[in-house]
Amino acid sequence: MADERLELPQGTLDLLILKALALESLHGWALSERLQQVSREALQVQQGSLYPALHRLERRGWIKANWAISENNRSAKYYKLTRQGEKQLEVEAAAWRKLAAAVGHVLDMA
Amino acid sequence: MLNDLLYRMRALFRRNVVETELNEEIRFHFDREVEKYKKQGMTDEEARRSARLAFGGDEQVKEDCREARGTGLIDTGVQDLRYAQRQLWSNPSFAVVIILTMALSIGANSAIFSVISSVLIKSLPYPEPEKIVRVFLTSNIYPKFPLNPFDFRDYRTHSKSFDSLAAFSRGDMQLSGGSTEPVRLHGFRITSGFFRVLGLHPQLGREFDVKVETPGNGLQVILSDRVWRSQFGAAPDIVGRKITLNAQPFTVVGVMPAGTEHPGNEYRSLAYGEDVDLWWPFTFEGDPTRRGAHYIEGIGRLKDGVTAEQAQSELSAIMTQIARDLGQGKSDWQVMVIPLYREVVGSSQRMLLVLLGAVGIVLLIACANAANLLLARAATRQREIAVRLALGASRSRLVRQLLTESLLIALAGGALGLGMAAGGVKALVSLLPADFPRAHEIHVSAPVFAFTFLVSAATGILFGLIPAIQASRIDPRQGLHEGGRTSTGTGRLSRLRNALVVSEVSLACVLLIGAGLMLRSLLNLIHLDPGFREEHVLTASVSLPGAEYKTEAVVGRFYDTLTTNLASIPGVEAAGAGSDLPWTGYDDNTSLNIEGKQAPPHDEFHARYHVATPDYFRALGIPLLRGRFFTAGDKPGTQRVVIINHAMAQKYWPGEDVVGKRVTWDDHPKETDWFRIVGVVGDVKDKPSSADTEPAFWWADLQQPFTSTDMSLVVRSTADPQTLAEAVRNEVRRLDPALAVADVAWMDEIVYGSVATPRFAFVLVGMFAGLAILLAAIGTYGVISYSVSQRTPEFGLRMALGAQRLDVIRLVLAQAAGLVLTGTVLGLLLALTLARVLKNLIYEVSPADPLTFGAVGLMVIAIAVLACYIPARKATKADPMIALRAE
Repeated sequence: MADERLELPQGTLDLLILKALALESLHGWALSERLQQVSREALQVQQGSLYPALHRLERRGWIKANWAISENNRSAKYYKLTRQGEKQLEVEAAAWRKLAAAVGHVLDMA
Repeated sequence: MLNDLLYRMRALFRRNVVETELNEEIRFHFDREVEKYKKQGMTDEEARRSARLAFGGDEQVKEDCREARGTGLIDTGVQDLRYAQRQLWSNPSFAVVIILTMALSIGANSAIFSVISSVLIKSLPYPEPEKIVRVFLTSNIYPKFPLNPFDFRDYRTHSKSFDSLAAFSRGDMQLSGGSTEPVRLHGFRITSGFFRVLGLHPQLGREFDVKVETPGNGLQVILSDRVWRSQFGAAPDIVGRKITLNAQPFTVVGVMPAGTEHPGNEYRSLAYGEDVDLWWPFTFEGDPTRRGAHYIEGIGRLKDGVTAEQAQSELSAIMTQIARDLGQGKSDWQVMVIPLYREVVGSSQRMLLVLLGAVGIVLLIACANAANLLLARAATRQREIAVRLALGASRSRLVRQLLTESLLIALAGGALGLGMAAGGVKALVSLLPADFPRAHEIHVSAPVFAFTFLVSAATGILFGLIPAIQASRIDPRQGLHEGGRTSTGTGRLSRLRNALVVSEVSLACVLLIGAGLMLRSLLNLIHLDPGFREEHVLTASVSLPGAEYKTEAVVGRFYDTLTTNLASIPGVEAAGAGSDLPWTGYDDNTSLNIEGKQAPPHDEFHARYHVATPDYFRALGIPLLRGRFFTAGDKPGTQRVVIINHAMAQKYWPGEDVVGKRVTWDDHPKETDWFRIVGVVGDVKDKPSSADTEPAFWWADLQQPFTSTDMSLVVRSTADPQTLAEAVRNEVRRLDPALAVADVAWMDEIVYGSVATPRFAFVLVGMFAGLAILLAAIGTYGVISYSVSQRTPEFGLRMALGAQRLDVIRLVLAQAAGLVLTGTVLGLLLALTLARVLKNLIYEVSPADPLTFGAVGLMVIAIAVLACYIPARKATKADPMIALRAE
């Protein structure tokens, strides 16, 4: 079953995280759930790899973390997009679309 | 960027908080995941397993997070450090040996660097010192000659190269009426602008203006801070007060601040340093058209952008113009302008650099030694390293870990070495010759700390890198299989270790040869005949104030009486007085005419002149070769006589009997202007560092053409030194209680001190060489004993098959001899090329001295073979049964 899911290409995880956080601020677990839902279970994200990515994005200043009380009444670390992160999301999304279109073109060649 | 930095800083310095947060975050995730699976109907256990699977290894994730935070390098660095520390603790004797050898060699480097940093690197204590130059005359005969005052005044008037140009000349003074009994003070006569050249300002009062240079205005004085404090209780109203110097009233016009350093001088020299007590004006007296007398030295501060060479050619042009104006022909003299820095440290520079080179070689040997010890240990750690490689440690991480260890060793050695250097520097300074430039400035300073740290770090990498790379190259499978015994890496490893030993031995050879050459040179100097007998000779100096001792007759009578009285002290064999003593920098020269001889063009007859009382030669132990010494009968009104030295007789009357020949200092002599040579004395070396003697002659004290108020006393006596010195003081005081007796010293101390520089160089290089050969011996021992332990089974087998103990010893020694001979031959060849830098530092020894090379070669081989003998004997103890069973 797992074999049918797609491995994430290098670097796309950041893009997905930024996109997901652009909608609302989330804690790590919620984020992993969200990614699986919206990708309709097609993408395989090793949950563990999410956290180093979050820490890296935080270091770059694209997302910001704060501790808040979660829906089940526990303290959880919530991440939200910064102004800088919004810009970065636009840049990366545009780049991704361009790449996808280009690769699509090549594959569609007769 | 800023955000990144802040983030990393928080991650680094609030590590505990950040770690707790990370744990909390991951536990939260895990709990939610488990909850989710439970809701789907799993049991608690199943849910946990699924969650763990979905998440991946949580330690790995945490590690990745730390990596992502950007503190990974530091984290692992701390780990590596702990690991290295554990490794060193686990083998204390290894750690002690290796850290001690590094400490010794790094400490020696730091000590030498302290000297270099203070003497050569630190700038002179004057503002913009690079602009200060010294001005001399130079000719073929006299490489460095003082100036004539009127010439100097013309230079100062006409030259445009200098901000200010000044001249100075030694003029000690006797102070009476201070807080102590009469004292002789080190003084200099200076022209106006002298302190402006140095860029120094009086702390009280002012500098001399140009008015004091006119005769009659010269009774002014500037005091040093030291004299102001010690003689006048730091009186704030000292400026304007009259003090008694040489029995004349001088007005104090200024006080220089502490730290006013004398720039050094050549003629009647006082070494560079804070040793001048007072300065008084130089006055231009006499006929400005007569310019034969040369006794002042020039010093100047160049204008911005003017070089010493430019100033030199400008002054030379002025000199030519002066000669033309005075109607003189072309002379052989030239002006020489030398940067002050070169003048102060020039002579010691080469020696210090040689010492730095020597101590650097010691450090290289110590590095090779440490690398060797680490390689040997890496061999015993093969198994451990193989296990770690097999468990997935990366090779770069291993190299980093091993390097951390060598860095730790080197830094520990450096810290310890710095402590040794602090003590060593004190010892070094006490070993230094008294006139060594800037010796009092030498101490362990901030640059020395920086140097030590850098050297330690560099050596840590230098000796750690090869063993680390070597160790990480182990193939884990083999390392594990063979259980850490002989492996395929051994061939390469032992080649490397052999190469290290060969280089250690060859470098030690180089140092030993350096030390050997210096020792021979030192012995040559010590065995040089100084030309006098220094044992049991006390010397001192007395200066008669010209204001009270006005005429030749008065001065002559004083010294005549004094020497007679001194001779009557019990135990005194002879007592005399003279214008100077050997090796005090006295260098007064004159040209002369010789009856019946014509000087070749451009090479006038010349000689150094001195004055002596009848017993001066006997007191110093200078032998009479021909004729007679002076007697009481050589006085005014009788035949005027001189005594000349052997060198002068040889130079101007080769093969002739000179006694009875006549010389004069007048170009158009009357009959009474002729002096008759009555004796020839043996040559006294001009300088302790060479056998050369220039032509010289002596006037009889009572017949000299001018008055010598300042004389040196020489007393040869078998009496107790302390009582003799006191007796001499008493005799002087008895004649004139206002006189100070200065410079009391024993001639044998002066002789001992005269070879201080070569002795200093030899002692240091000798110590370094000793350390070097010790390290090389340790290195050789290490390699051979390791190889013996590797070959134990082989030796056991051989002995089982009937080999004798001697055969086994021979086998081991043969292996050692191969290494040692290679090292020695390489070392001798290297020394042959390197020893050339010593050329100017060694006396009467060829840099390729066969005796030194032969002796060192044999010595190194002997020491190395000795170092191998212990492991060789061990080899013979190999028990065949144990050896075979181990196989």
